[in-house]
Amino acid sequence: MAPALFSRLVTLASSLVLLSGLAVLWRHSLAAYIRTFARQSFLIVLAILLIAAQERDVRLCVVAALVLVLKVVLIPRVLHRVQRHVAADFEIHPYVNTPLSLVITGILTLLSYAVAAPVVSLADLPTRGGIPLALATVFVGLFIIISRRSALSQIIGFLILENGIALLAVLATFGVPLIVELGVFLDVLLGVLVMQVFVYRIRETFDTIDVDRMKDLRH
Amino acid sequence: MIPYLLEALQCLLTLSLAPGLIGLVRLLKARLQGRRGPPAWQPYRDLAKLLDKERVVSTQASWIFHATPHLVFASTLVVSLLVPLVAAPLPFDRAGDLIVVVYLLLLGTFFLALAGLDTASPFGGMGASREMTIAALAEPTIALAIFGMGAGAGSTNLGEIVARTLAHPEATLSPGHLMAFAALFIVMLAECGRLPVDNPATHLELTMIHEAMILEYSGPSLALLEWAAHMKFFLFLSLLSNLVCPWGVAVELSPRSLALAVLALAGKLVVLAVAVTVLETRLAKLRLFRVPELLGVSFILALLAITSSFLVR
Repeated sequence: MAPALFSRLVTLASSLVLLSGLAVLWRHSLAAYIRTFARQSFLIVLAILLIAAQERDVRLCVVAALVLVLKVVLIPRVLHRVQRHVAADFEIHPYVNTPLSLVITGILTLLSYAVAAPVVSLADLPTRGGIPLALATVFVGLFIIISRRSALSQIIGFLILENGIALLAVLATFGVPLIVELGVFLDVLLGVLVMQVFVYRIRETFDTIDVDRMKDLRH
Repeated sequence: MIPYLLEALQCLLTLSLAPGLIGLVRLLKARLQGRRGPPAWQPYRDLAKLLDKERVVSTQASWIFHATPHLVFASTLVVSLLVPLVAAPLPFDRAGDLIVVVYLLLLGTFFLALAGLDTASPFGGMGASREMTIAALAEPTIALAIFGMGAGAGSTNLGEIVARTLAHPEATLSPGHLMAFAALFIVMLAECGRLPVDNPATHLELTMIHEAMILEYSGPSLALLEWAAHMKFFLFLSLLSNLVCPWGVAVELSPRSLALAVLALAGKLVVLAVAVTVLETRLAKLRLFRVPELLGVSFILALLAITSSFLVR
């Protein structure tokens, strides 16, 4: 593949990853959040495969396969089960309303371009165009965590944040050692399982997964 | 001389094909919904029927009410001279760029809203206020999306953008280009009164926007307004298709390349019309209070398009 085309495709994939992160801010249904997360992870698989094809790196293909199994199939399945079990369908009143959220994420994207500018201008990687976008995905994940009420949306925010970091790692280094990747995957999987237990407990104790209600005294 | 004939050809194409495009969208939509639907040339019959009918005007109407149909029609027709439908460097390119195109279309919207208020019918006022709400939200987005398109090509001149895209085909894959396209597409849905912003098929007072403003018009005036709305949709779609995928647009003037350009345009329009139809069949109309959210998405897309065009080289 020609280097110019390769870097364009990588930037395109990264911006699609960011946009699917933004889709969470615009939708209201928790099931749609989970599907969006699966879609975003699939886009990351595509980005990793692109880099693997360009670098002719078998190790990266393994990483892509792991992401596919874990984040496109396994975690969304777990989350769908949680969502059905706690019978929470919608993120009804987020702390920040939709238009304002969108404007804030626009500002966050500009911020990440500003922060990443020195890195991008120093790096001579063909993938440098995607670095600010991956950073913006991290910010968007953080913003979802702080601006949504439902515990499930916050888990999705965490996973989007994690996706951003994974994308950033693969763009900046063309793949960290496999053992590190495995450690991270195990971490994420355990994190999701622990959070699943937490959500069940919150639901049992408070009859809702709206974390705002946890400030109230029990009655 | 020949370039000016070309402009005349573009005008004629817009006048003749626009109702057919709307008819096609309506037919496809009917089929997707399991209805038989009227044939694709039904809008031509409707226009002919309306042009033949008597014009009834309220005695309270001022000159604005009389002038608006002609103004809307004329401003839309002028746009057809500026948009590269079949050939890229048009002789009138120097007269107006993308900004002029968009604001000419908004001029029509503005007068339509005034005319809706003019006869003081309650529906007209309601439609006008809704239309202005949407236009006020859509306008900054359009401006940003235009700059997004222009930033990629280094110019807002339409001929220049098309020529630049033809010279650098890999630029169409850049995120800036695609996001600007997506932003313009959403704005197009809002501006042309399509679902999910406005339902073009309804006369229900709770939901209508465009229909509410033209409710007082009859006969030839209504025909002009309907025709202008068809042309606006046609022009927005061809603008989108030729900015994003300009292949097929004639760069040199030979009968063969022009014929090819007309065929390519028809093909692209059919593809976009199918896309719009499928989208409209799948979507429900948004509540009016959620329209700002949709346009917010479009605004963010345009903003990202600009950032990535300027900051990623």
